[in-house]
Order: sequence, then structure tokens, then C-alpha cells
Amino acid sequence: MADSAPLWTAAALPVLLVPAALAVACADARSAAPAREVLRLLVQQPRRTVAADTLATRTGTVLLPVAAVLAAAVVPLGSTPVSDLGDGVVWFNAMEALAWAAVWLAGWGPGSTLSAVGGYRFLAQGLAYEIPHMLALTTAALGAGSLRVTEIADAQRGLWFAVWMPAAFALYLLSAAAMAFWGPFGQPAGRDLARGVASELTGADRLLLLGGRRLLLLTSAAMAVPLFLGGGHGPLLPGWAWTLVKTGAVLALLLWLRRRLPGVRMDRYTELAWVVLTPLAVLQALVVAVVVLP
Amino acid sequence: MELRSALRQAALARPAVLTAVLPGATRARLAVERELGDRRWPHAPSPAAADLLVLVGSPREEAPAWLDGTWTALAEPRALVRIDDPPGARAALDAGHAALLRGAAGPERQRARKDPGPYVPGNGGPVRDDGRTPGPTGHHGGHDRADGSAAHSHDTPALISGLPLAERADDRDGLRLDRLHVPFGPVLPDWPAGLVLRLTLQGDVVQEVTGVEVVEAAPAPRPPFWDEPWRQAAAGAPVSRGAAARRRCAAHLDSLGRFLAVADWPDAAARARRLRDAALAGAPARELAHAVERLTRRVGRSRTLRWLTSGIGVLPREQALAAGIGGPALAADGDAWDRTVRWLTEAARSAAACDDPRPLAPDDPAGPRGGLAGRCPPSRALLDVLPPLLRGAELAAARLTLASLDPDPDELAPVAAGEVTRG
Repeated sequence: MADSAPLWTAAALPVLLVPAALAVACADARSAAPAREVLRLLVQQPRRTVAADTLATRTGTVLLPVAAVLAAAVVPLGSTPVSDLGDGVVWFNAMEALAWAAVWLAGWGPGSTLSAVGGYRFLAQGLAYEIPHMLALTTAALGAGSLRVTEIADAQRGLWFAVWMPAAFALYLLSAAAMAFWGPFGQPAGRDLARGVASELTGADRLLLLGGRRLLLLTSAAMAVPLFLGGGHGPLLPGWAWTLVKTGAVLALLLWLRRRLPGVRMDRYTELAWVVLTPLAVLQALVVAVVVLP
Repeated sequence: MELRSALRQAALARPAVLTAVLPGATRARLAVERELGDRRWPHAPSPAAADLLVLVGSPREEAPAWLDGTWTALAEPRALVRIDDPPGARAALDAGHAALLRGAAGPERQRARKDPGPYVPGNGGPVRDDGRTPGPTGHHGGHDRADGSAAHSHDTPALISGLPLAERADDRDGLRLDRLHVPFGPVLPDWPAGLVLRLTLQGDVVQEVTGVEVVEAAPAPRPPFWDEPWRQAAAGAPVSRGAAARRRCAAHLDSLGRFLAVADWPDAAARARRLRDAALAGAPARELAHAVERLTRRVGRSRTLRWLTSGIGVLPREQALAAGIGGPALAADGDAWDRTVRWLTEAARSAAACDDPRPLAPDDPAGPRGGLAGRCPPSRALLDVLPPLLRGAELAAARLTLASLDPDPDELAPVAAGEVTRG
């Protein structure tokens, strides 16, 4: 079992994550446009809306990247996370739940209809994806008999959880995109709402929200590695390299899916999530429980 | 200071462009979209995200209120350009870019500018004495703005920063909920040119459509772009069947591009738009038919899109006939998905006929959106059917319904007298 990394890594974490998230955004756009966008938003002057709840907007836009970075603190690079919490999985889930508050606040704050509808869409999305997501997390923890992320990764020395818990892995991937409200699950910032929660945000606010979304996507994709893909274990390469390679593969899969799928509306997806995906997740947890518990 | 200026130059090297398209300006819009694609300037989805506001077409008044409202909603640095003829697109965008860089040149200039003050979502235009903004605006938001002065506030006691509070009414489940009156359009991404829908919303559910309007444009010098071959043939000008088929193919691909963008499938939308441009640029029929076939495979066989768009905006044949609707919306006889498939089928068939040199019969006025022989243009009927179709729909479904009907406001825009038949 690995220990937590030294304290300075806590400061290094955002410094590493931000360029990585930007690289993912560039790969998604297949150009350097996101990098230019960052620069553009930095020179843009902020603009207020009348009767805006600036405190709510600020809190929301700042909270989102912060939640993403805090969630990343328990994701091990190789075998060492910044903080090897005993209940890392719960911490990770709690940090994602912060994103609900963040997106809703950012949507509500400007006092504009499209923005508020976007914020509420994310709450509906949460209702749809969160139960299967939590069951998927639980299944991985159950398989390893621990809530500590490094122990879950170590339990997959022989066989990846993705291989013998395929349903949980697939559900986790879906919810990774959903919690980052990105790609097919990007409706809270959907094009039909002129980018919903982001529609009234300018300058740094916009940068924080859209950047926070990328960070969240990166973090949740990276978390799939210790949970289902054997963490840093692998032949030849060192642990950290395996983590990066596997995270890259998960992201590539998500980006590929993005090109194949239209935006998924929650009025349809909720039905699927509750009628099909949740029972599936329960069944998967049951199978794992039967195998693991003697 | 040198560094700062260099930073600004780099940041605005490719400004984000918000287009406000007027009815009757499809030619110019296509030119602007091509030009933006060539320059790889990003499209801004809302005023907040834009650096450059591009007005495509000519409004009837010099400075309509909705344009002021949209302009106010842009953050500094910003610039506005106007493009009303396709060849002028390049020069106008260059001028806009230059103005943007000039405007962003130094802090002195920024300070010298009048602070536009906070922006009111939903209107934000100049406020009249009666405390209401004069017209619809590009943006959303739920309120009409009072001017905030004491003289008015005593009339309407429930005001917050000059905005009236939402009223309440029973929703579709009998719950008493806030009700907002929100104008949608005319400046929204992937939205019919100049259309304004006045919606009464409860949450994200459309309770009622209280108004379907099209902003006023100056008379267009030429007939609607998508109907042109049939109009010309009807007026006796020689038009080949191939030219008409090409125009129909491009029209449906344009509609598909808009629909797929609203369905949040940017990859497929970009494909449809690339194909549209190829069709208009005169790609050979064989090549075009092949490419449309590939698009049909990707989109027409997407189970996900089918799952997400079926049951939305159901328009049975009888209702369509009663409303006077023709074209694909009538032939599809069903929901948004059926209409999408119908567009794909017709686009593929038209693509194959793109090089047909035989003359178009003058008595065959079946444009891309329906028969052109009647008194009313086909888009009028498509707009008229919106209020009953959108009632009770969620916003996402309402936008999909509208995009799947894709009325063409060009058909409603006035055409300058004596210019109808010119080629």
C-alpha cells in the first residue's frame, strides 16, 4: 500500500492538471482554439447583468474548478495520490456533488432565463446519472473490499475490474461525461440554450466555469484508471506512465464517442437511467458481492 | 505595455463572431459562414461569448432595438460590422477585426468610453419612457425593464432593480409556479433568421406561444435564395432541373445542419454544412450523392438520434394539410425524426439529379419547403403551426421541433418590386 505524496504535490496538482485539461480541450477541438480562447477570455472585460446575484455566480464559477482539483487529490499517479484518504472514493464522490451546487449557482446568478434553465438541467442530469454512478463506485470498492483508492488499484494486480465488472465500468464512463456536463451530456451548457449556464458569463467567470468543466472531465476520466483499469500496474513502464497512458485511452474513447452521439436530453435519459441502468448497476453489484464475499 | 499589446493582438487573432441574420439575407449568411470557416474564427453562441457582432442583411430601420440590446450585451472589447452583400463579407470582416484591435489597443481608449452599464438579459436595449424596451431582442431573460426611476416604481410595486417579479400561474400539473414571458430570438445560434418567438415559460416548459414574429428587414433585391430556381422557372426564365435539384439538396442540407446543431451533434452538423457548401459550389452529382449517402448512414441510422427525436413535434398528415403545409413536413407525416429522415432521403435523391440538363417545367413550383404557387409562402404555414405544436413542450423539445420544421423567414421578407425574376 502506498502513502500519500509529500505536501508540495498539493500545490503542484493544479499546475499539472490545468495544462493537461487544456491539452484535452485542444484534442477535442482538433486545434489550438481552446488555448486562444483562454487568452481571449483573459483580455475580455467582465460584464454584469442587471440584478445579477454576483456572489452566487462567483461562488459557482470558482467552486467548479476547485471541486475538480480537490477530487483529483485522491487519484493516484502511479501508486501515489496527493492524499491517500481511507475513504477516498467517498471523498471523490462528495467533490463531484459539489459540482451540482457550483453549476446551479453559476446558472442562477446572472438572473437570465437561459442560464437558469441550464443550471436546472444539471440538477435533472444529476438525478439521472448519480444513482448508477454511485453504484458503479460502490461496486469497485466492494470488489476490493476497501474505500481507499490505492487499495482498489492494488486489488487489480491480477485482473482489471473493467474485465469482470464491465457494466459498472461502462456506467462509470457514461457518468464521467455526465458529471463534467460535457459531450453528449453537455445539455446544461447546450447549444439550444446558447450555452445555458455559460450563456451570460464573460471573461474570467466564463473561463473558470468552462475550464472547471474540462478539469472535471479529466479528473473523472483519470479516476477510471485506479477504479477499473488496474491503476499504475502494468509491465515495463513505471506506474505513473501507465496511469497517463490509461487515462489517455479513456479520454480518447470519450472523445470518439462524442463524435458519434448527439446531445442526450435528460427527459429521455432519466427514464433509461432509472428503468434500465440502475437495475443493471444493482445487478452488477450483486454479482460482485456474490463473488467477493465468501 | 508592448507585452500587453502583443497579448491583446494574440488573444483577438481569431475573434469569436456572433451573427445576427435578417430575413432575406441567406446569400450573405452563406458567404459569411464560408468566410468564417476559412478563417477558422469561432462562432459565439451568445453575446457574452462574442467579440465581433456581425449583422447580416439590412434591417428596415437604421438601428432596431433588438440590435441595440444585443450590442449592449457584448463585453469589451467588441466591434460591430454589417454585411449585406456576399462579396462584401471578406472586406467587412477584415474591417471588423481591425476595429476590434484598434478598440482593444490601449487602456486610455477603454476609459474614455462610456460605461454601458449593466446588461439586462431579455432586452437590454434603450429604455423608453414607458419603462418598456421597444422591441424584441436577441436575448433571453425573463423580464421587461422598467426605467427604475421613482416616477414609475410606484405603479408597479414588485420591482427588483427595475425588473418586475415573475407572476404566478398553474402549470400543467396544477402546481402554482412562476411564469415568465420571454422573447426567443432573433439572435440565437442555429435559429431561423430574424424570427422572434414570444414564449410564456414555467421553468423550462413552454406554456404558451403568445407571438410569432419576424423582425423587419429592408426589401431584398432578389427572391428567397432557396426558392430561386422555381421562381425563375415560373417567371419563364430557363432553369435546368439539375440546378433546381442542386438548390433543393443544399436547402435540405442547410436545414439538417441547423437541426443537428440544435440536437447538439456538432460533428454531424459540420458535415452537413460542408456538404451544403460543396453542393452550392457545384460539386459533381456522383461525388455529392456519395457524400450525402455517407451522411445518411451516419445520421439516418443513428439509434441515439432516433431515440432522442422521435415523439417530438408530432405533425400528422391531416393536421399538416389543414395548416396548409407542403413539402417534406407534409410528406414525413410524423415527428422530428421522420422529418429528418425525409430531408436525408430528398437530399440524396436531389444530389443524384444535380447534373440533369433538362429544363425545369415552369408549372412545377415545388420548392424545398413546399409548393410556391399558392398565395401564402410555405414558411408562413410552418410558422403558423408552431403555437399549437410547442404548447406544453420543454424548451429543448421546442427548439428541436422548430429546427425540424425549419421555416425560412426569407420567404416572408419583402422583395424589391420588379426584381423578382432577375437571375
